[in-house]
Amino acid sequence: MYSVFDVSSSGLIAQRTRLDAISSNLANISTTRNESGQVEPYTPRFVIFQTDDEITTSGGGQGVKIDRVEYSTVLPNMKYEPGHPDADAEGYVAYPNIDMTTEFVDALGATRAYEANVGVIEVSKDISNRTLQILA
Amino acid sequence: MLSNMFDSSSLPALEQVVNFTQARHGVLAGNIANIDTPGYKSRDLSVEKFQTQLQEAVSAHRHAAELPSYANSDYYGAEPMDVAKEPWDKVRQVTDDILFHDEHNVSLEKQVTEITKNQTQHNVALTIMNAQFRLLRAAVTERV
Amino acid sequence: MSAITPAQSFAQQSISSPAALNKPTTIDAGSFKDFLVDSIRDVNNMQNQADHAVETMMTGGDADPAEVLTAVQKADLAFRLMMQMRNKMMQVYQEVREIRV
Repeated sequence: MYSVFDVSSSGLIAQRTRLDAISSNLANISTTRNESGQVEPYTPRFVIFQTDDEITTSGGGQGVKIDRVEYSTVLPNMKYEPGHPDADAEGYVAYPNIDMTTEFVDALGATRAYEANVGVIEVSKDISNRTLQILA
Repeated sequence: MLSNMFDSSSLPALEQVVNFTQARHGVLAGNIANIDTPGYKSRDLSVEKFQTQLQEAVSAHRHAAELPSYANSDYYGAEPMDVAKEPWDKVRQVTDDILFHDEHNVSLEKQVTEITKNQTQHNVALTIMNAQFRLLRAAVTERV
Repeated sequence: MSAITPAQSFAQQSISSPAALNKPTTIDAGSFKDFLVDSIRDVNNMQNQADHAVETMMTGGDADPAEVLTAVQKADLAFRLMMQMRNKMMQVYQEVREIRV
């Protein structure tokens, strides 16, 4: 009866995780070293969604869950900066290949999807309250 | 004796539901309050366990209601009433025993959704309760 | 509306047979009594079904809230209709009692 809330809630969690990944990508847009301090550009990550058959509604609706977090396979962005401490022998520094515009558009998409799920929860609450009007 | 008039409808069950949703709201509100508390594990009252217990109480109550016949002179005695009250007390006790930690971090969305579901359940139970009381009052005052 | 037919036939019977007015004991009073008892039983059944539906919904059973609330509202209205008919009957009884022979 209330599983429609669970479906919307799974959408909220999924979109927030996606937004987490995007903010991580943007925060590390100039990161040239990994977590142990070795020279290795940050690899952008993507959250992969999957339908969740554990969350179902009577109408056949299904929830969403995080399948896995994938790392981007694109090559790093080589920039000629000979004075940089992380430059290679030829003077090139490997920066993460992250396009700010793409990430922002993605972030907007995630936000809109989050809002849509909140909207569905509102509609579900409204329907439930209107059902109660039968008795009022 | 007069309290028997509330036992014939779904009022006792609804009363338990309202009690439970109120208690659960307190627990869930605590989770939201501790959303940033390090090491905090979210708590909850098990809806499934409550519903199972309520189901048992409803069946026991229905069974008890069938046993005493209206023709039986003992019907208004103390004993059948106690029998009818007992299952509901059991439901109330179980509310204290089903608190559990789900070993997960607090997820804001999940908690808010649970609160919303709980609130909806509470609203439904209260609305039906209200209708039952209005009906009883109409019967007592003989006014529509 | 079919449930109301006994009352109508009762009314028609008493009006259409003036002879019955002279001999009140021959009026077939059973049909109206049956109608009353039947409607009370009907209302009681509706209330029991509504209560059952509410309990099913509250214990997590497969019940549509709209259906359950509609059943409750139907039982509610049926009871009020029955009570109103009873009130009118009592009113009629009081008025008849006031008549001086």
